[in-house]
Amino acid sequence: MARVLVVDDAAFMRKVVSDALTAGGHEVVGQAENGEEAVAQFTALRPDVTTLDITMPEKDGLEALAEIIAIDPSAKVLMCSALGQESKVIESIKLGAKDFVVKPFQPDGLLAAVGKALA
Amino acid sequence: MSGAVNQREALLRLGASTAEAIAQVLEMFAPGEVERGEVSVLEGEGSPFASLEPGTVAAGVAYVDGVTGANVFLAPSGTARLLATKMGAGADVEDEAPLTELELSAVSEASNQMMAAAAGAVGVVLGQEIEISPPQTRVLQTAGEADELFGAAPYATATTFLVGGAPCRLVQLVPSAFVIRVGQAMNEFAGEEGAGAASGPGAPDGSGPRDVEETLRGITMRVWAELGRTRLPLSDTLTLPLGSVVELDRHADAPVDLYVNGLRFAEGILLVDDNGNWTIRLTGMESREPAALTT
Repeated sequence: MARVLVVDDAAFMRKVVSDALTAGGHEVVGQAENGEEAVAQFTALRPDVTTLDITMPEKDGLEALAEIIAIDPSAKVLMCSALGQESKVIESIKLGAKDFVVKPFQPDGLLAAVGKALA
Repeated sequence: MSGAVNQREALLRLGASTAEAIAQVLEMFAPGEVERGEVSVLEGEGSPFASLEPGTVAAGVAYVDGVTGANVFLAPSGTARLLATKMGAGADVEDEAPLTELELSAVSEASNQMMAAAAGAVGVVLGQEIEISPPQTRVLQTAGEADELFGAAPYATATTFLVGGAPCRLVQLVPSAFVIRVGQAMNEFAGEEGAGAASGPGAPDGSGPRDVEETLRGITMRVWAELGRTRLPLSDTLTLPLGSVVELDRHADAPVDLYVNGLRFAEGILLVDDNGNWTIRLTGMESREPAALTT
């Protein structure tokens, strides 16, 4: 079981992701709705895994990812985004994301990505 | 040789690409329950939101970086509630009750995913990746509120969809620069194909520009066959060793799917011809017709 921080500007998506993670036996320890909150929550909670949307107000997911990795280079971050463009995927991986899940996704796919990140 | 693509043709092409991408996302939320209407170019001085009903949910997403413009998804409250329910965000409330925050968030997220798909489709037309903003979602009472929230643009298109029989609409606000870029991209593509088609059957006789639909139907599109698919974490795909076996989602005897420019349009049986080349005998066509283009 992993302690997971869920980041998405849409309350609906935070619920979908949280429900999937909880059903998969993980614990959602915090949620954030923009990149600023994501970095603050990561610093405070130090989760095992963070799921991170890209298109968000205040600070987008890629900026937040860079800051999280700077705080902890071993952080396990999964990007979850409707933007599946090649450049976004490559940039995310280069910045240190462990995986990239394109919305809409099935719960099994998300859980598999979490499992892979934890392995 | 046909004449250069004009602004109206460019708008219709942009509208059709966007509408198709959006219909495919809606189809994921409501399989078999989505119908797409015609793309229309909104002309005149009036608001593109003039027919807005009170209580309509409006979710707008702007293009940023590279191109400008916006897409606004408009759903009357009943349609918004239906869509939210299809997405799993249904509320146990009376039909006439105001939409809950979760229902609004679901519609907003649906718009985010639709517009990301639309950005991808427009990116294919323009030959570059398109970025989108986070969605702005509001419940609006008047067209004036929509005008104030989303601004104005020299051009606009509209497409109506039905989701489970309930209507919703996409309005595209298109700056002049965007129209010009789409037109240029279409001209470049048509020019690349024109040289090859000049001596073939049905070639334009140079007597004048072809009409919009004939122009678009003459454009060569990429067609491919898909044997099957699976989902793998990115990290797996990057580290697969030679000799790996990747299991797909269908039996070897099952029909393959045919796609044109990313849109599934038929299925068929995979065969080998006398020259040893792969061929496909079509056994079924998609029932949906491409959106008719208005003039």
